[in-house]
Amino acid sequence: MANSEFDWPAKPSVLGTHINRLDGPDKVTGRAKYTFDINRPGMLYARMVRSPHPHARVVSVDLSAATRMPGVRTALLTRDFSGSQNNRVMFQGDEVAAVAADTEEHAIDAARSIRVEYDVLPHVTVVEKALDGTAPVVFTGGNVRDGRPAQAGDLTAGFGAAAKVVEGTYSTQVITHNCMESHGTVCEWNGDRLMVWISTQGINAARENFASALGIPQANVRVICQYMGGGFGSKAMSVGAEGLMCAKLAKAANAPVKLMLDRKEEHLATGNRPSAASRIKAGVSADGIITAFDAQSWGTGGAGATADFPLPYIYQIANRHRSHKNVFTNTGQQRPMRAPGHPQGSFNTEIIMDELADQVNIDPIAFRIKNLPPEAANAMWRSYLLEGAAEFGWNKRHATGDKTAGPIKTGMGVSINTWGGGGRGPSPAHCEIASDGGVIMRLGTQDLGTGTRTLVAVITADALGLRPSQIRPEIGDTLYGVSALSGGSTTAASISPGIRVAAIKALDALKEKVAPALGVDAASLVAAGGRIQVENDPSKGMTWADACKRIGPQPIAADGEWRAGMSSSTTSGAQFAEVTVDIETGIVKVTRVLVVQDCGLVVSRLTAESQCYGGVVGSLNFALFEDRILDRNTGQMLNPNMEWYLLAGMSDIPRIEVRLKEQPERGVIGLGEPPTVSTAAAIALAVRNATGVTMRSLPLTPARILGAMRLGKG
Amino acid sequence: MATKDDSSDGLRFNRRNFLRTTGLVGLAETIAAPVELAAESTPAAVGPGDVPVRLNVNGRQIDLMIEPRVTLLDALRTRANLTGDKRGCDRGACGACTMIVDGRTVYSCSTLAIEVQGKQIRSVDGLASGDQLHPVQQAFCDKDALMCGFCTPGFIMASVALLEKNPNPTPEQIKKGLDGNICRCGTFSRIFEAVSSVKGVQRG
Repeated sequence: MANSEFDWPAKPSVLGTHINRLDGPDKVTGRAKYTFDINRPGMLYARMVRSPHPHARVVSVDLSAATRMPGVRTALLTRDFSGSQNNRVMFQGDEVAAVAADTEEHAIDAARSIRVEYDVLPHVTVVEKALDGTAPVVFTGGNVRDGRPAQAGDLTAGFGAAAKVVEGTYSTQVITHNCMESHGTVCEWNGDRLMVWISTQGINAARENFASALGIPQANVRVICQYMGGGFGSKAMSVGAEGLMCAKLAKAANAPVKLMLDRKEEHLATGNRPSAASRIKAGVSADGIITAFDAQSWGTGGAGATADFPLPYIYQIANRHRSHKNVFTNTGQQRPMRAPGHPQGSFNTEIIMDELADQVNIDPIAFRIKNLPPEAANAMWRSYLLEGAAEFGWNKRHATGDKTAGPIKTGMGVSINTWGGGGRGPSPAHCEIASDGGVIMRLGTQDLGTGTRTLVAVITADALGLRPSQIRPEIGDTLYGVSALSGGSTTAASISPGIRVAAIKALDALKEKVAPALGVDAASLVAAGGRIQVENDPSKGMTWADACKRIGPQPIAADGEWRAGMSSSTTSGAQFAEVTVDIETGIVKVTRVLVVQDCGLVVSRLTAESQCYGGVVGSLNFALFEDRILDRNTGQMLNPNMEWYLLAGMSDIPRIEVRLKEQPERGVIGLGEPPTVSTAAAIALAVRNATGVTMRSLPLTPARILGAMRLGKG
Repeated sequence: MATKDDSSDGLRFNRRNFLRTTGLVGLAETIAAPVELAAESTPAAVGPGDVPVRLNVNGRQIDLMIEPRVTLLDALRTRANLTGDKRGCDRGACGACTMIVDGRTVYSCSTLAIEVQGKQIRSVDGLASGDQLHPVQQAFCDKDALMCGFCTPGFIMASVALLEKNPNPTPEQIKKGLDGNICRCGTFSRIFEAVSSVKGVQRG
């Protein structure tokens, strides 16, 4: 869509520059109010009671002792367990009851006093046992479900054309979102109207959830999320049992209730990234073309949830076949986690790429380029691989296995990524300009911590010739209108067009008020540098403040909506990693990571770069540390905390370089997911390059490294 | 008191590293503790039920009636509406609750309020003077050393304590000094940049 007055500017004033996060001061001072920080007069604290068993029938629940405990105001079951249909708990952490008391300490005591009688049932938590049929059949219709197979070309011919064939089994582990702020809600009723503060990625979706589950009109529900301590997909699904119990307890107790989950509950019951494994056989021709790719894959997304991922990932392979099994286990259900499916698909694909490259003695980058889809604006891997290789010093990379003396081995690895993202409507925005010069940009989106509030101000300021600090973004409240939930890197691309359209429409109205005073045609005016003036003639103009004095008592108001052509979808990127491996201890240190990443038009550079830094760290955690460890016999999670569920700290962080590739002509795309897809594979390949041993399973723990090296040498 | 080992000399283990390395810290403490307790005179019992607790927080006296088991973090957050410091893990692993007590960082989620009576407690709520940000807070804003911001108060307090002890830390000292804090959004690179850029913090 060319030549609209709403087109992104050729010479932006603020877009794409380093602008300090607008809410930085509120966050660094502790003034920012997260759901966890909302304290209401007379507020009660609530606690959930959850199944300690991975699979059991609830025989009875006795709430009476709890209701006699000090400070307790009310206790409720999450559902009716009396019938035979709905009386099973399906995972450790499945919700049974909830209690509200005057203090959090009393609520904890009361929750402990609730007596639940369970008839413990056989469970399946070990994926291999489900697959080989040695686990009890727990799920109606079987524990293992076939996914849809995919096929192209002629596999037999493909293997016939192969000079070399590689076979291996690859896998990634279940990890949990582990947001710093747990899932939590504060509910306050006023008659049949419900006020909700909730840590959510979608305030409007949350409003619908509450209204439909509680049987009240959506118009009676107001949902607020001004600040939230991370979501990563786990707060994008629904308000959850805990959200609804908070509302029900508040109703029953006739008092505001706060219900924040604790760390253990976060790990058990609020989502995870499913496991992903594959047995792959692939053939390669002597000149480095992958001729055949045959994969059987599987994974668990928990109790009744699927675990699919793209395989092969990105590379173009003419002859391929893939079958997939979703394994249901008695564990908490998966939820989308930052780039759902892609980190798993990346790892399961990229490791065998280097194995194949070595078989035919081709450099991993040259090998990847031979097997890429054609270059396009949304598929720039060839360029990024070559540019990144030069920047990273890829020519200093040695062949597989660091031959230098001593226990510290060094290696490099590379991998690529893609993500759809992109924008869509409806995504309205509302702009007001008042006679005091104040500007409000109002829309019903929410800021997960990505910097949405700052993005709103940057786009508005750019359109109005102001500084972002002069804009007041109003977001995070369903009173501000309808907007989509934030997930899948869609927020920036969905909301940005409407913001710019609303701002330009409001500016047009302001120009109409100013033009007569200047004796010029409104169409000749522009907003720049805090002034409204004739383009290229500052003498015919006035300051923003003077211009706004002509507005009168009723502010200018204008609405904008998402427009095709101002956003697009699909990114590409490449990442390089360098590691050292101590082959005596098995400890991997990531020393350098280079990110080459596009995201269309860069709106807010500082926050865009931060997405890349964060994506790399998230993926480094996936590669080296995170693992939901279940006891093989009891099915209990052994590390539902933050000391045994390992996460990187400051000393684990490599030097990270970010190269944002600009594609302003494509409009806004979104950047939340892409940078977290491929670091893990690049790290694993760097470990392979360092040690000469192929690591086919994550996480790369010291024990695994040492074990693999022992096998590799044996 | 759950003192964080924020020694920045790079030689001593901090708690996270120690846990990772040995996996035995909890065991060692539980075995040693009863022996030491028995040797001391038994302190007067307080509670159960609410008891008066007087705290000095950010230079202000706060009088509370709370159960002895209430943590410093919860006492300030739920009884004094000082909600700046956060709770991430509730067991001294993530550092979101970091406060400074008599010049040393503590995990306030694992410190009883009753333990820190008579001590100077500093929370993030009291760090800025009005609209004037502390130099560490300003550096975090300038370097975008935060995303969701939930871990930020803890990182800020850990950084302030580090710089008050050592106004010119080496890169290694900064890393060791902040290893007791976790950021899930992954802003470490920029936190490191921010703390490296801070000049002129007075030795505490």
